[in-house]
Amino acid sequence: MNEGERERRRRFDALFEAYGADIVAYCIWRAGSASDAQDAVADVFLTAWRRLDDVPGGDAARVWLYATARRMLANQRRSTRRRAALAERLAHAVPAQKSSSDPEQYIVREALRRLGPLDREVLLLSELEGLSPAEIASVLRCPRVTARGRLHRARRRFRSAFEELAAREHGGRHRRAALETHAASVTHAPGGGS
Amino acid sequence: MNRIESFEALRRANPRRGADFHEAVDAAAAEVSRRIATATTADAPQSRLRRPHRRLIGLTAGVALAAAAAVAVFLTVGSSGVTPGVEPAGAAAMKKAVKLSAASAERSGTVTVHMTQDGQVWAHKVVRWNGDDMEITDNSRGGPSSGLPLVVVNGMMYGHDPDHEGWVEVGPVSSIDPGSGTTPTDILAAVREDVGGKTLRRIVRAMTAGGVTTTRQSDGSAVYRGTVPAGQIARRTGFKEGETIRVFPFGYVAHDAAADPATRLDTAVTVGGDGVIREIAVTWGTWTYTVTYRQLGSTPPVVAPANAKTIREMRRLPQPG
Repeated sequence: MNEGERERRRRFDALFEAYGADIVAYCIWRAGSASDAQDAVADVFLTAWRRLDDVPGGDAARVWLYATARRMLANQRRSTRRRAALAERLAHAVPAQKSSSDPEQYIVREALRRLGPLDREVLLLSELEGLSPAEIASVLRCPRVTARGRLHRARRRFRSAFEELAAREHGGRHRRAALETHAASVTHAPGGGS
Repeated sequence: MNRIESFEALRRANPRRGADFHEAVDAAAAEVSRRIATATTADAPQSRLRRPHRRLIGLTAGVALAAAAAVAVFLTVGSSGVTPGVEPAGAAAMKKAVKLSAASAERSGTVTVHMTQDGQVWAHKVVRWNGDDMEITDNSRGGPSSGLPLVVVNGMMYGHDPDHEGWVEVGPVSSIDPGSGTTPTDILAAVREDVGGKTLRRIVRAMTAGGVTTTRQSDGSAVYRGTVPAGQIARRTGFKEGETIRVFPFGYVAHDAAADPATRLDTAVTVGGDGVIREIAVTWGTWTYTVTYRQLGSTPPVVAPANAKTIREMRRLPQPG
């Protein structure tokens, strides 16, 4: 390996070290499965490796990687949609995380599911990836003012959906508790239950 | 259920917080290396880029071993120097953490400042804030509040009266000299600056210039280590007995080697698995200066003490002794 190649590898190494985890997190949320996420991450960084000279420096590199990941995942979804068995699941393209018994996680996923795909995207880029509206606009290739407006709307909608779902969950829990209490009183009452 | 709770819940669902997230990153790193190892071989005789096979089922054991070795070569964690075109690894991660932390700190947070010399506690202060309300507890030697907090809620300051063991409504924040650097408003502004503002950006820039090493911890956090000139951390604030005084964030005088702005101080920035800064630790000689952040963006509201008396009411109370 000559000095040029070594330098190129060092640059790539630094790129992955800096942003690899971000792109993994991004893809885990959006891919259909863990293996799809891993595929997408590998595609993103393979692209970066091949086009290393086009990858901008500084924070712009992260935005470049997110935008590439977004395209890769869109391609992946298009090809996967052809597989009939997965069409329904991918139509939602909602965070692909393991199902959880944690009610809060369920509410979060359900509230996100109620957002439109672009609203969901800007919200996740802002809240989980820490991108500014200007950076989000670069990833989505839209005007800044659009990204800002969409983010505002997405936050409002997410909050509203979350609150509604949380209230419902809370009410359900109360009803379950009341039913359990009632069942226990019937069971322990003299002559009640067996 | 309020606005903050819904967004806190969203952040708690961040896959970075998952127990198996680092395994996912490691697996992705291995896959990236394998793809590149294959692509490099496949691309070599060709002038145009070609997509590699999506799966590497056909890898021989030898190639697989070579790929595994490539993981080690390509994705070495740590010792990142300055590389043209791409930012040093640690620097980029820290910058991102600064951004995230600053955004969270705008809402609320809790910070603990701890300073020791020869293992003895020199200073210990906890600042908790939510919006413009805050609570400061100073357990430093000779500290002003003797372990009892100073509370500011809705622009009103509350202190604890040790003689009557009760809370006193000290007065509005506006009654303190503005610009003296000691008003709660000044302190809050300094806290926000130190948590994610200029101070932290200066530290990160200085660390980057000198090289950063990264250590990943089992809890998902990463520690970035480097050296920073004392002058970039401790700001010059004036003179005392003919000598320049430099003060660390949160108001502690920099002693010994830290008083010399050119001295490079060992600095470690810990970033949690959620990408938010957890701790900044600076060491020199026998001194340590540590700032620990908690609940950035999720610190509960500061509540005004119940039954606080006004100073006028306090004067009417019988004086002890």
